[in-house]
Amino acid sequence: MDLTALGTALAIGLGAIGPGIGIGILGSKAMEAIGRNPEAAGEIRTNMILGMAFAEAIAIYALVVALIIKFV
Amino acid sequence: MLKKLFTPRNLLIMAIGVAMIVVSQMTPFLKVPKPVVSLAAETILHIGSFTISNALLTAWLVMVVLIILALLATRNMPKDLERASNQELVPSGFQNFMEMVIEGIYNIAKSIGGAWTPKFFPIAATIFLFVLLSNWLGLLPGFGSIGILESPHAANVQGYEAVGAILTGTPAEAVEHAEAVAEDGHEYPGYVVVPFFRAPSTDLNFTLALGLISIALVQYFGVKALGPGYFKKFFDVSGFKKGAFDGIVGIFVGILELISEFARILSFGFRLFGNIFAGEVLLGVMAFLIPYFISLPFYGLELFVGFIQAAVFMMLTLVFFATATVGHGSEEHH
Repeated sequence: MDLTALGTALAIGLGAIGPGIGIGILGSKAMEAIGRNPEAAGEIRTNMILGMAFAEAIAIYALVVALIIKFV
Repeated sequence: MLKKLFTPRNLLIMAIGVAMIVVSQMTPFLKVPKPVVSLAAETILHIGSFTISNALLTAWLVMVVLIILALLATRNMPKDLERASNQELVPSGFQNFMEMVIEGIYNIAKSIGGAWTPKFFPIAATIFLFVLLSNWLGLLPGFGSIGILESPHAANVQGYEAVGAILTGTPAEAVEHAEAVAEDGHEYPGYVVVPFFRAPSTDLNFTLALGLISIALVQYFGVKALGPGYFKKFFDVSGFKKGAFDGIVGIFVGILELISEFARILSFGFRLFGNIFAGEVLLGVMAFLIPYFISLPFYGLELFVGFIQAAVFMMLTLVFFATATVGHGSEEHH
């Protein structure tokens, strides 16, 4: 039985849960912060995008694993 | 909640969507071949033993476009900035736009780099413009769709019938298999397109090379700012002065620093590659499912993702530069 497709889907699907939650928390906190202090919106947005990039890196690792399972 | 979802307007949109799927799958001339997802860039020509892939060709195209843009933007600039009158110094048209872009990048570099801005800015701006154009160029019509017709190289790739030079959405039948093998040694039936151009960011070699350049420059700026002492953060033995335990912890932290330096290269490379490659696959699959109109919102999304990824690449580079030029936190105490 060939379970390659299942493995690929599980790798990226499970791997996306954590970063998804992380990015959600980042976004919500940043919105809260902007709501409290609208003058700092620019700085908060920059830092939010940076933080999201780090959280997203985990999802990218999962994507790489999925691609390796699929194509290698 | 459900009542809001099933308003007449939404029902109409859903009906149109379903109708489009049905129509596109029923009518052969509206069908689009399933995208060939090739992880590696395809080779399109050889010069001696040197193979040129479509991503490499497009990277050169990006460089040419950037050079032309730079020439156009500086064409009306006065030769001698010191002696130019105020009238000559006022930019207009394209030069004005490019000065706006460059100024925006400069302000970001300044807010992170501080006193090092003159050193950081050229690298950051180059990375941003190069990556941005690499991401966006792949969205142009013709990129990934115009190319050489070849028979698929693997068994799991579906070949399609071709009319003249145009690939149709009709899958090649297995009946042709025997003929094709007999005729010119093809192993698999039908054809797939090997595109002439492919967004450079969808080639792992390109993104990993950029990541390597970025991290190598981090070490360069670190040594330039702190001297050989910069490498102390990787081999920290100063903790032994306080005792064996602190020393071992220091060495362990140094090993972690070393690993994280290599992890940065990988995450730089895979972040850009993963985002842009996944975007291209998404666009291809969307066009395959419903050939018309449905791709449009995803094009907007990909434009945004391309911009954000270029900005993230630039900002992370700047932040790593800035942290490398500032000494290790604990060293200030000694």
